[in-house]
Amino acid sequence: MADLDREVGGLRCRDVLAFLADYVDGELDQSVKEKVEAHLGGCDWCEKFGGEYSSVVSSLRRALREDVRSPSVSKRLKERMRKAWDDGVE
Amino acid sequence: MTETASDSELLRLSAEGDRAAFTSFMNRYAAPVHRFLVALGANEDDAEDALQECFISAWRGAGTYRGRGSARAWLFTIARHAHRRQYRRRVGEPAQVESLEVLGERAGWGTPADFTAAFEAAEELNWVLGQLPKEEREVVVLRDLEGLTGAETANVLGVSVASMKSRLHRGRLRLMGVLRRGEGARG
Repeated sequence: MADLDREVGGLRCRDVLAFLADYVDGELDQSVKEKVEAHLGGCDWCEKFGGEYSSVVSSLRRALREDVRSPSVSKRLKERMRKAWDDGVE
Repeated sequence: MTETASDSELLRLSAEGDRAAFTSFMNRYAAPVHRFLVALGANEDDAEDALQECFISAWRGAGTYRGRGSARAWLFTIARHAHRRQYRRRVGEPAQVESLEVLGERAGWGTPADFTAAFEAAEELNWVLGQLPKEEREVVVLRDLEGLTGAETANVLGVSVASMKSRLHRGRLRLMGVLRRGEGARG
């Protein structure tokens, strides 16, 4: 188990955990981003965990692009909407 | 013409009763909204019912869309309400109040191990998402799967951007923990 209070680059591991989402999403201020990167550069555990976190986010985004769901959902919805319109839905 | 029109234009025409415009709008969003509903835990039948309810509400309410936020976020908000109405009487999930550190440790923080994240089928992804509390599941689906912006996601959920980010981070960490624990269960 890592020492989560270990300080590297001016940040503790637990601080990096808190900043990780914003770091991966590119939403950190430049000064904080530089500190996180300094920490990651000197902390193998956080560097590895950050890589895993980033890979999960990438996999989720890739999953959507690779979802080649059949158009049947759209087709059935349009059929149901046509019926609703015919039934007088305004 | 409607295939290239903006969402706002399609909704403006829909509000005037233009069914072709609304059909184009459905073509654009039926699959993402259905995917969202399934990821929230709806079975196929419930998802299709909620999908229809969502688009009937959108058809009826097209004139109320003012174009201040994205039409996509507006539609996901309607879908979320349709889903909540459907599941209102079902037992809620217990609040999950683990600290970020606990979630992080379950996700592998501080205990390095070989780890790969890949979702080879929609069913596998839905299984993993189904292990998350609903509040975290919906934010992960909207932000990471559907690609809504942070502001759009917060808008759909009716929470601040800061609250949305907190839920998102917790949801991602919990999802990592599920992936680590659930290799066998996913089969």
